[in-house]
Amino acid sequence: MAQVEIRNLGKVYPGKVRAVSGASADIADGEFIVLVGPSGCGKSTILRMIAGLEEVSEGDLFIGGDRVNDLEPGERDIAMVFQNYALYPHMTVRRNMEYGLRNEGLPKDQIAARIAEAARTLRLEEYLDRKPRQLSGGQRQRVAMGRAIVREPKAFLFDEPLSNLDAKLRTQLRAELRALHVRLGATFIYVTHDQVEAMSLADRIIVMNAGQIEQIGAPLELYQKPATRFVAEFIGTPAMNFVEARPVTAGLKIDLPEGASLPGPCAMVDQLAAPAHIGFRPEDLVLEPQDGAAGLRLDLQVMFAEQLGADTVIHARLAGQSDPVTIRVESAQNPAPGATMTAYAPNAALHVFDAATGQRL
Amino acid sequence: MVENRFYLTVLTHAVLITGVFFLCFPVWMALVASTHPASALSSTPIPLWFGDQGWENYSQLLSGGLPEAGGVPVGQMMLNSGLMALGITFGKIAVSVLAAYAIVYFRFPFRMVFFWLIFLTLMLPVEVRILPTYDVITKLGMLNSYQGLIIPLIASATATFLFRQFFMTIPDELVEAARIDRAGPLRFFWDILLPLSRTNIAALFIILFIYGWNQYLWPLIITSDESLYTVVMGIQRMVNSGEQLPVWHYIMGTAVLAMVPPVIVVVAMQKLFVKGLVESEK
Amino acid sequence: MQKRVVFRNTWLPYILVAPQILVTLVFFFWPSWQALESSFYIEDAFGFSREWVGLRNYTELFADPGYLKSFRTTLIFGLCVTFLAMSISLALAVAANRVLRAATVYRTFLIWPYAVAPALAGVIWYFLMNPSLGIVSYWLRALGYDWNHYVNGEQALGMVIVAAAWKQISYNFLFFLAGLQSIPKSLVEAAAIDRAGPGRRFWTIVFPLLSPTTFFLLVVNLVYAFFDTFSLIHATTEGGPADATSILVFRVYNTGFIGQDYGSSAAQSVVLMALVVAMTFVQFRYIDRRVNY
Repeated sequence: MAQVEIRNLGKVYPGKVRAVSGASADIADGEFIVLVGPSGCGKSTILRMIAGLEEVSEGDLFIGGDRVNDLEPGERDIAMVFQNYALYPHMTVRRNMEYGLRNEGLPKDQIAARIAEAARTLRLEEYLDRKPRQLSGGQRQRVAMGRAIVREPKAFLFDEPLSNLDAKLRTQLRAELRALHVRLGATFIYVTHDQVEAMSLADRIIVMNAGQIEQIGAPLELYQKPATRFVAEFIGTPAMNFVEARPVTAGLKIDLPEGASLPGPCAMVDQLAAPAHIGFRPEDLVLEPQDGAAGLRLDLQVMFAEQLGADTVIHARLAGQSDPVTIRVESAQNPAPGATMTAYAPNAALHVFDAATGQRL
Repeated sequence: MVENRFYLTVLTHAVLITGVFFLCFPVWMALVASTHPASALSSTPIPLWFGDQGWENYSQLLSGGLPEAGGVPVGQMMLNSGLMALGITFGKIAVSVLAAYAIVYFRFPFRMVFFWLIFLTLMLPVEVRILPTYDVITKLGMLNSYQGLIIPLIASATATFLFRQFFMTIPDELVEAARIDRAGPLRFFWDILLPLSRTNIAALFIILFIYGWNQYLWPLIITSDESLYTVVMGIQRMVNSGEQLPVWHYIMGTAVLAMVPPVIVVVAMQKLFVKGLVESEK
Repeated sequence: MQKRVVFRNTWLPYILVAPQILVTLVFFFWPSWQALESSFYIEDAFGFSREWVGLRNYTELFADPGYLKSFRTTLIFGLCVTFLAMSISLALAVAANRVLRAATVYRTFLIWPYAVAPALAGVIWYFLMNPSLGIVSYWLRALGYDWNHYVNGEQALGMVIVAAAWKQISYNFLFFLAGLQSIPKSLVEAAAIDRAGPGRRFWTIVFPLLSPTTFFLLVVNLVYAFFDTFSLIHATTEGGPADATSILVFRVYNTGFIGQDYGSSAAQSVVLMALVVAMTFVQFRYIDRRVNY
């Protein structure tokens, strides 16, 4: 078990295609870290560089304090779980789990003991003598995890391990993974494109976009204080709403799209010197102005409402912009399409990002 | 099937039965002829049903051969054919699986040069460059030897391509998992790649065995020693045996013997054979 | 072309490709180079001396009426074998694709001749058509057709064409069957709903969809007829009578081994190599296109 450290990691593929640049992060011993981002953002590349499956083009990589840039994957003392399981199809479950240990030259009785233990943990005992093709998707993924566990590695790497499973199994295995992490107390580095998965699993999340790290933080931190507009939009469902704000005369008059207005003072917006995006989460919108300090006022026309049971998501149009605004309210609400309504985003719920750089202001 | 019109069904079976007849009749005649004494084949029409000389004819062929054509026992020739076919088969599979492995799973200077060198051999059947190849064999002192019969034929682009094609369909994650499991290149090859290629190897085995068994020109030019004759090539000595009239009952017996091993392989392993043939050519 | 992840090893890949490359260089490239080289020389019969003659071997070759005739014979032979073998096997494959019962039995009986060597196919047909005792020639005579391929060149050519086509039917049949089975049933059913009868369905839907297989087989059959039938000719007619069945590959052998004319044989080899390369090129151009679909 060990901490993993990446320093200014970069990856350039042949043909000068850049996948990752300047990525730095400290992953503590025993931490559950999730790398999340849209496809092609470089999250898998970082994971694969940590595994040793991709060569590191720039920067340094440390596992347990040792620089491992040039070590073979087998020498890094890590284990990996793949999206498509990557079980050896011609070997039984037992042989699959044993394979790495045999290659390591571990004594037979130790191998048997580890397999037995892992099989118990993952409830795989009755399947040990089956071939992978005789197992269901969920069982296969458990075998893949078993193969990782028996190695007792310094760190576990997961490359979208739940993506090939249906929604119900995914939820179930997510809980199992979390429990496994608590039991093993090992370092987990986990890649996914699903922000819900990231939020529910991670101690800390690394959000990536276009080959760069946007923000590293605990799930709630990312949700409450996103560092960039990208993170703000990526974390949370339904996604955050935005309106554009342009200072007409610096610090004096702010131009907002038609239908949006600032009835009272709002320090963050009033002092804008350059164009910005004002973000507010659907669940932070209220239908009554509060305490006089109203924040942002939105006059909207309802397009349609999705009744989800516990709550209702209203999609509405703001006259001055094409992007609709979504509002999450309790389920009793069910406005008719075409109706007009007014919603307020309190000052405390506003996130302001520089329009040019995307950075939080 | 979209519909079941009666006349179509009848037509279908008629076509198939005619086809089966056309394909089987010549061999039927060969079988029949091989069971008759020479006298029965000297007047027309020759018999369409088996005679009673089958046992005598075949035992003479297998042990004593055809006196008129030097008397090399057909049993001996079949043994040579078998050795040559197996040598070519195993050689080709071994050589090409290794080459395909290197080309698919390694990155090294001149990789593409090697690829094209192998690829070009697809284009040059031995028939078109027979004389210079003979010269090379002579220079290497490989005339009249099993090495000479086998080695020049074990480099084949077809088998290499089949393996390459198959390796490309093996998920990358399997290599990655193996590398994380501390398997080096040779261990991966032996523990994972070869076991996964089992079906392909078996299918290829059938195709290559037939290819090897049916070689003709090659043994014809590089063996002058009769003890090295192969049966497919040897039969030609019986047909064109100079002044004498061909002894058809023996020739047909030899033809039957020469086709038995490959036909058995094809029929017994039909499924694998079809897979091997259709996939190796695509 | 290659895996995303590859092994890093400096010497192992060379050892792995070495056997194949070695055999290829020694038994393919060296002889091919020699053929090219000696096609520019004239060598005396004992191989003691040779003389650079430039393109003379080639010019003499193409001035030789015998060689030109051999070209024609090869072309007729190749086209007839290809047409015969392909049309019969297509009919059989279409029929086999229709039957539900006894399908495997039919298939077994139709594919086994694949295993028969061309030389054996030739010898057996040689026997069947033997003018004095062959059963087929006996039947032909009963029909009033006098058969003697020992003297009649056209009949000799006809015989080797039938034998060569007979051997190739199984191969074509398997590929046509595989091609037919890969055509989605729903297309044929849609055509039936559009009121196309069975014949019309075949020519407007099935046959066009089969064209990749047909084209592939066309090239393979031509290559087979041009090159792989050497043994068939050699074991039976030996090119005769009067060169009537002397196809190009047979001529290369005959000029070199029997006639001992190395320069001319080498020049013929070079011409044939060019022919094969051209055919392979056509085939790969087409395969490329198919892959791009």
